[in-house]
Amino acid sequence: MKDVAIIGAGSTVFGKLPERLPYQLGAEAAQAALQDAGVNPKDIQFAYCANLYGGMVIGQAALGETGITDIELTNVENACTGGATALRKAWWDIASGLYDIGIAVGIESMTNSPIAGKLIPPAKGDITGELGMNMVAKFALSQRRYMDVCGVSLAQIARVSVKNHRHGCLNPYSQYRKELTIEEIVNSRPICEPITLLQCCPATDGAAAVILASGDLARKYTRKPVFIAASVLKSGDYSFRWEDVTFSDMTSKCANIAYEMAGLGPEDVDACELHDAFAVNELLHYVELGFCRRGEEVRLLEDGATELGGRIPVNASGGLLSKGHPVSASGVAQIVELVWQLRGNAGERQVDGAKVALAHVIGGEATGLESGAVSVHILKR
Amino acid sequence: MKTRVPFHEGLFEDISGKKALVAAKCRQCGQIIFPGREVCLNCQGTDLETIHLSRQGKLYSYTIVHMPSEHFDPPYAVGWIELPEGIRIFSQIRGWREHTLTTGMEMTLFFEKLWEEEENEVIGYVFRPSESGGA
Repeated sequence: MKDVAIIGAGSTVFGKLPERLPYQLGAEAAQAALQDAGVNPKDIQFAYCANLYGGMVIGQAALGETGITDIELTNVENACTGGATALRKAWWDIASGLYDIGIAVGIESMTNSPIAGKLIPPAKGDITGELGMNMVAKFALSQRRYMDVCGVSLAQIARVSVKNHRHGCLNPYSQYRKELTIEEIVNSRPICEPITLLQCCPATDGAAAVILASGDLARKYTRKPVFIAASVLKSGDYSFRWEDVTFSDMTSKCANIAYEMAGLGPEDVDACELHDAFAVNELLHYVELGFCRRGEEVRLLEDGATELGGRIPVNASGGLLSKGHPVSASGVAQIVELVWQLRGNAGERQVDGAKVALAHVIGGEATGLESGAVSVHILKR
Repeated sequence: MKTRVPFHEGLFEDISGKKALVAAKCRQCGQIIFPGREVCLNCQGTDLETIHLSRQGKLYSYTIVHMPSEHFDPPYAVGWIELPEGIRIFSQIRGWREHTLTTGMEMTLFFEKLWEEEENEVIGYVFRPSESGGA
């Protein structure tokens, strides 16, 4: 298997951008990534584009704006894991020796989607979806159980949102750049109890892109290649095998495979971007990703270990909670952020001396499954 | 009068005038699967029997939803009900205004109108907090 490196990274600013069409967002991110890599668009051999609500052949429309045409181009959908799926597939196309250089893009415009202003439902006709399930309710059910069985308070969970919004203030790409208090978060309007508005990621428009190249080729373009040490993608198992809704088996399995693939452990991770679609998720993912043992996750947060300056800063970008969550773009946007962190050019939110970074996304809902898909990538410089 | 139709085929049936949830139980590995299947999702065995699920369960978790869904106006309650058979079922929860919901409380199965569409009244399963004494 060949080494694969990321040699270029680009992103739009995240936010409410109703005047920007999805393909335009994608084109801007791809252009930024090409420019960052110093790669001629004619040299790109293949592309993956993740998108959920943008419509037909959006990857072709977006990349056509940048001079990338007449190549193998695949559009992918995998809910919140879409962007990470595009990256995974691009990684394999180079690792396998099929191609030497390609691009992975994630695009979403939630304000231009058919579900603008609504909660994201499963596919039409899905049984739980028809009975009133949505993505917030799914995690509200985990949170209710977590609070009642583990004795964790709403204020403790809200601290995740406080932390990530504080980080978001330092990120010019973030949708929100405003500090929040525990009181504001707890007292904001209920969406799916006990989840209130400010425990939720916002609806976001944005796109992100990375250029990948084989290790040999990468050194011709950059002195700071960021290597993909592990790339793992898994679909959800049956929910009758899912014992406890406060522990994502999918995430735990996926992380363990990734650590093995990278020959690294959770103690080696210097910076992490994980799927904080709702504040509670971040606490639960600390355990599943191996950053602490079960029952120690609130302490990890309260001690500041996951804050900038701590032992393992989590979501230094602001995370989905503050930076925003353009569904299919998030998986790529996390990688863009971590590439900047590993190169040492993440500005005010720089994690000092970061050498190893981990990205995690999970998402999608279908009756009878724990969740749709999960992905973990480990990057190193 | 509107025609009463089930919201999905094969999830419940009438047994001597009373409706019950229909599941499949694998005779090979013992796994219970709802909605039922011809082939066991756990072991791929093909020897499955049809069983009717319990009418009583425990509230594993719940949420009150404050945004509209395709068929329900807010606020409405949904939750996971843990049945004695060892499986969890996602369901609408009714009666939550009269009885405060708490994790672990006893719940009882009912079949009621979920929503209306044109000439149909759509029927499905719901759970309600059990009356004291666990009726």
